[in-house]
Amino acid sequence: MKVSYNWLKEHLPLELSATELSAHLLKIGFEVAGHERLGPTFTGVVVGKVVSKDKHPNADKLSVCVVDDGAVKRTVVCGAPNVDAGQTVAYARPGAVLPGNFKIEGRKLRGVESQGMICSRSELGLPKDVDGIWIMGEGPALGTDVGSLLGPADDILEVEVTTNRPDCLSHRGLARELAAYFRKELAPLGGGMVESAKASFPIIIDDADACPFYGARLIEGVTVGESPAWLKSKLEAIGLRPINSVVDVTNYVLHDIGQPLHAFDADKLAGSKIIVRRSKAGEKLLALDHKNYDLPEGLLVVADGEKPVALAGVMGGEDTAVTTATTRVLLEGAFFNPAEVRKSSQKTRLRSDSSYRFERGTDPAAPRAAADRAAALILRIAGGSAAKPVEAAAHRREKEPIKTSVGKINSVLGSDFTDLAVKGALGTIGSVNDVNGNGVEFTFNAPTWRHDLFTANDLAEEVGRFLGYDNIPYRMAPMASRTARLTPVETESRLARTKLTALGLWEAYNYDLVSEKTLAACRLPSDAQPRVAHPLSEDWALLRSSLLPGLLKNAQYNLSRGADSVRFFELGKSYSIRGKEVDEVWRVAGIILGPVLDARWQSSRAPRASFYDAKAIIEDLLEKAGAITWVKLSEPAAGKTASDPLFHPANSLRAVVNGKPVATVGWLHPRIARGHDLEREGAIIFDIDLDWLAGREEAPARFKEFSALPVSRRDLALVLDKKTPYARVESVVRACAIEELQDILLFDVYEGKNMPEGKISLAIRLTFGRSDRTLTDPEVARAVETIVAALSKELGASLRG
Amino acid sequence: MTRADWEKSYVSAESALRDAGVENADLLKLEEVRVRFLGRKGALTDLLKSLKDLSIDDKRELGPKAQSLKASFDALIEARKAALEDQGDAAALQNDAIDLTLPSIRAPKGRLHPLTTTLHEIARIFQLMGYSWAEGPHVEDERHNFTALNIPENHPARDSQDTFYLQDLPLLLRTHTSTVQVRTMESQRPPLRVVCPGRVFRHEQIDATHSAVFGQVEGLVVDENIGLADLKGHLQTFLQKLLGSSTKTRFRPSYFPFTEPSTEVDVKCFFCPGTGCSACKHTGWIEILGAGVVNPAVFKAAGYDETKWSGFAFGIGVERVAMLLHKVPDIRAFYTNDLNFLKQFDESLL
Repeated sequence: MKVSYNWLKEHLPLELSATELSAHLLKIGFEVAGHERLGPTFTGVVVGKVVSKDKHPNADKLSVCVVDDGAVKRTVVCGAPNVDAGQTVAYARPGAVLPGNFKIEGRKLRGVESQGMICSRSELGLPKDVDGIWIMGEGPALGTDVGSLLGPADDILEVEVTTNRPDCLSHRGLARELAAYFRKELAPLGGGMVESAKASFPIIIDDADACPFYGARLIEGVTVGESPAWLKSKLEAIGLRPINSVVDVTNYVLHDIGQPLHAFDADKLAGSKIIVRRSKAGEKLLALDHKNYDLPEGLLVVADGEKPVALAGVMGGEDTAVTTATTRVLLEGAFFNPAEVRKSSQKTRLRSDSSYRFERGTDPAAPRAAADRAAALILRIAGGSAAKPVEAAAHRREKEPIKTSVGKINSVLGSDFTDLAVKGALGTIGSVNDVNGNGVEFTFNAPTWRHDLFTANDLAEEVGRFLGYDNIPYRMAPMASRTARLTPVETESRLARTKLTALGLWEAYNYDLVSEKTLAACRLPSDAQPRVAHPLSEDWALLRSSLLPGLLKNAQYNLSRGADSVRFFELGKSYSIRGKEVDEVWRVAGIILGPVLDARWQSSRAPRASFYDAKAIIEDLLEKAGAITWVKLSEPAAGKTASDPLFHPANSLRAVVNGKPVATVGWLHPRIARGHDLEREGAIIFDIDLDWLAGREEAPARFKEFSALPVSRRDLALVLDKKTPYARVESVVRACAIEELQDILLFDVYEGKNMPEGKISLAIRLTFGRSDRTLTDPEVARAVETIVAALSKELGASLRG
Repeated sequence: MTRADWEKSYVSAESALRDAGVENADLLKLEEVRVRFLGRKGALTDLLKSLKDLSIDDKRELGPKAQSLKASFDALIEARKAALEDQGDAAALQNDAIDLTLPSIRAPKGRLHPLTTTLHEIARIFQLMGYSWAEGPHVEDERHNFTALNIPENHPARDSQDTFYLQDLPLLLRTHTSTVQVRTMESQRPPLRVVCPGRVFRHEQIDATHSAVFGQVEGLVVDENIGLADLKGHLQTFLQKLLGSSTKTRFRPSYFPFTEPSTEVDVKCFFCPGTGCSACKHTGWIEILGAGVVNPAVFKAAGYDETKWSGFAFGIGVERVAMLLHKVPDIRAFYTNDLNFLKQFDESLL
C-alpha cells in the first residue's frame, strides 16, 4: 500500500523523518518496501530573469549573464549553450543547496566573478526536458522560490500490510496503529452533515450473513466535474488516477479511512431500489473496468429492480456509474462478509482496492461514518443536497472478550515483561479489565476494526510488537529426550549420492513438472499422469512419470555446448495416478555417455562409457540388497515400470531381487536418442526404485573364513556359438558343483579373424583353492576336465587350439 | 707342486691380474676375465686348488696369501661392475624421461548439486541440535496444506501461496513444507523436534529470483513451555553456525496463519558493512527465514492438547541460502544443470 507521509501526518502529527518512521514500522511488523521522495530536494533556488548575456572574455564556451532575482541583479557565468537574455530561469543564489548537498557559493570562473548558478532541470533533481538550462516561461514572479512551484515535499512509502491487518490499509488506519505504538492521540476526524429530506430508496437484504449492513444515501442536484487540485494531488501522490469529483471522493475516503464506498447514478437504477442478493443463472455485469462478466450463480450482488448493478464489494457496473452527466448520486456504504467478497473476486478473477479490503475484513462499525464523510465532501465539491441515509442492518454480534493473564503472555513470548508494561501495551489497542480484582487474570476487548485478536497468543504478539521483539531474550529449549535420526529414504539417498559421485556421476536437479511434449519425446504416455489444473504454461502441465526425460535434456544441453562426456544422476520423485490418489516414488536415475576418464591424450585409457559401466553402477547400488537376477527387459519376468519405453528393448536388463523389479539399465531407445541428438553418443541410462532400496532390512556384514594358502589358476579359451550368452557359461561351470572352485573371471572376448563363422571365443580364468591345504596338480586337472566336459556337453564348447 | 712352483704361479697370476685391464673392462670383458681367473681352469682356481699339494706349514703360510689375492680380485670385479651399473643407470634414467607436464588423468569423480550440499549443511546443523528428519508427500490435500494450518477456505492468506491444483483430483502440490508439521503431529506424540526438508510448488512466473519449484526446510519443536525466546535462541544458533559466529540477527514481527506470534528473521548483510548493497536491497539486512510460535489452532487441528503443549516452527528456502552463500545471481541456474555451473561447487569432493 502506498502511503503519503503528509497525508498520514494529517491524522497523527509526527516529528520523525520518513526514514525513522520506516524503521519504527518495521519493528511493529510493517515492512517498508519502497520509499520515494516527492517535491524539491534543493533550497535557495528562485525564479530569475536573464537581463543580459555577453561572451566570456577568456573562454569560448562560457557566457557572462546578469540575472535579476527581483531584488538584486548579479553576474553569473553560465556554460549552457541555450542561455539567452530575456529568459525566465531557475537561479540558484549563493547559499543555495542543490541535490547531493551541492552548495552554491560565489567564485571566480576564468577570471570572472560568478554569483550563483543558472540551473538545468537535472541539476535540480527533476526529469530532464532539454539540454542546457531550464527555461521556465513567463508567469511566476521574480524571486519566487522554485521549490514552492513544484508542490509540497512528501515521502511516499510502500508499506507492506500483512493479510491479518486490513485495519491498517488506510492512512488513518496506519496512523491509529502508530498512535497506539507511540501512545499519542489521533487527530479528530472532522465532518458533520447537513441533511435535508428523507429519501425513499428501499433496501432489501436477502442474506444478512453475507451483508450484515447496507447503508445508502441519496444526494441530489450534484454537478459532477473535475476534482479540486488538493484532492487530485492526494490521489496522484499514491498512484491513483483522478476520474471525476464523486468517484474521486469515494476513492479518497477508501484510502483515508479504509472503508470502500460506491457511488451509483441514482437515475440509472431501475425501480429506484437496492436489493442485496445472490446472482441468478445467466446474469451478467458490465463492470467499471469495461469488461463483461458472466456471473456464476450464487455470488453476492447489489441489484436494482431488474439486474445486478455491482458485484458486492468488488466492483460496480458501468451502466450505473457516476459520470459528469450525473445529477443524483446514491452513495453506498456497507459491510460485506469477507469470505463472500473473496469468493466473488476469485470466481470472476476480478480484483479491486475494495475487494482487497473487504475480503480481509473491514470495520463493521465504519460504513456510516465513512459514507457521512464522503457525502460531506461531495456536497462541498459537487454541491447538491443530501437526504437522510437509508440503512438495513442485521444485529451485530459483540466479540467475546479474551481472558488471559500476564503470566500466560510472558510464557508465549518467553519474556519477563511487567504487569504494567503488558497491560499498558494492550491498553493502547483495546480495553483491558482486571477479572475479580485479583490482578492475575484480565480480559481484553478488541476494537471493531481488529479481526485478528482471539487468543492469548494473539495478544502476546501485540505485546511483543509494541514492547519490542528485541527485548525478548535468546533461550535454548532443553534437548528433547530422543536422539535425532534420519528417515530410511534419506539414509539411502545419502548412500546413493556418495556411491554415485564416487563413480563419477554429477548430481542434477530437474523440475517435477514437465510438458506433454517432453514425455512424448521420450515415448511416455501423458494421459494417465497427474495433471495440473491451471498450468503456468504447457511446459509445466504434468507431474513426471520418470526422471529420465529431464536427464536427457541435461545431457543434450551440455553436449550441445561442447561437453563430450556426460555423467548425470538425479534423486527425485516420479508420480502416477492410483484411483483418487497420486502415488509418489523416490527414484534415482542416471545417464552416462562419452569417455569414462578425462584422458583424451591417452586414447587407450579413455574408453567410452558402455552398458557394462552402467551395469556396474546398478550392482554397486544394489550391493547389499540381495541376489540380483538379471532379466531382459523384453521378457515377461521383467515386469513393467513407467520408464520402460525409454530403454532399448533388446539391450536393456532389469535387476530383479526377490521377485521384484527394482532397477533397469540399458541403451537409450534409438528413436529417443535421435530426438535428443544423442544418436552417435551411445547413451546408457538407468533407473532405480529408491523407495524399495530404503525399505529393505539390511543385516550387518558377517565375517567369512578365507584362505591365505596359494590358489591355482587355469585359463580356458572356449569356442562357442556366437549366440551363447556368457551367463550360460558361468551357470554351467557353477552347476558342476566343484567345491574348490573359488572364482570365474572372463578375461577375453574374441570373434572375427581365425574364428569359424558364427563362433565366438570366450576366455575364462578359473581359480581353485581350499582353505585347509594346497591343491595338487592332478586334483586341479580333474576339476578342469569335469568343467570342460560339462561345457562341451551343455553348450557344445570346444577348447581353442 | 713344489712351493717354488706355487710361488712362481702366484707371482705370474698376480701380474696377470694386474694386466687384465679390469679397470676399463665392459661387462662382457669382465665375465671373460672372471672365467680366465676363477673358471674351472682359471689361474686363481689353480692356485687355490694346488695349495693341497703343499706341506701343512706351507699351506698355513701361503693359504691366506692366496685367499687375499682372490678377495682383492673379487673386489676389483665388483667395483668395476658397480661402476658399470652406475654408468648404465645414468644413461637409462635419461632415456626413461617422460613428459611430466602432460595433463593429469583424473579418476572420474562426480559432484553433488549445490542445493544438496546446502540442504545437507542446514540439516546437519539442526541434527546437532537434536532435530530429526521428517518427510511428507509432494501431492497433498487441502487439509494438510491449508485448513489444518489455520488457513481456512476463502481466506486471503491463501493468496500469498498461489497453488497448483490437480485436474480432476481433489489434490494440490504442497505450497510449503509446513504440511509435514501436520503429518508429523498426526503420527507422533510430543515432544517433537524435527526438520522437514523437501520440494514445494508455487504457481508463480519464473524469473531470476522466483522458481515455481523450490526447496524448503521446515522446522518444528513441540514441548512444554516453549516461547518466542526459544525460537530466537535456536534460530540465532543455527544462523551463526551456518553463516559464521559473528552473524547478527534481527527478529521482526510478521504474519503467518499457522504461527502466532510470527516473525521474519533477517541477518546483517554479509556482503556489505551494513551500508547497503544490491544483495540486501540497500537495507543492510537480508531476509533469510520466516518463523513463529505454533498457533494453538494448529495444535487443536492435530489433536494435541494446546493448553499443555507449545512450540515453534520455521521455514527456510534452500535456494535462497545457496544463492546467498555462493552468490548465485539467478535461481534458474540451479535447474539448468550446466556442467560449467555445477563444477563450481561441492569443493568437499576435490
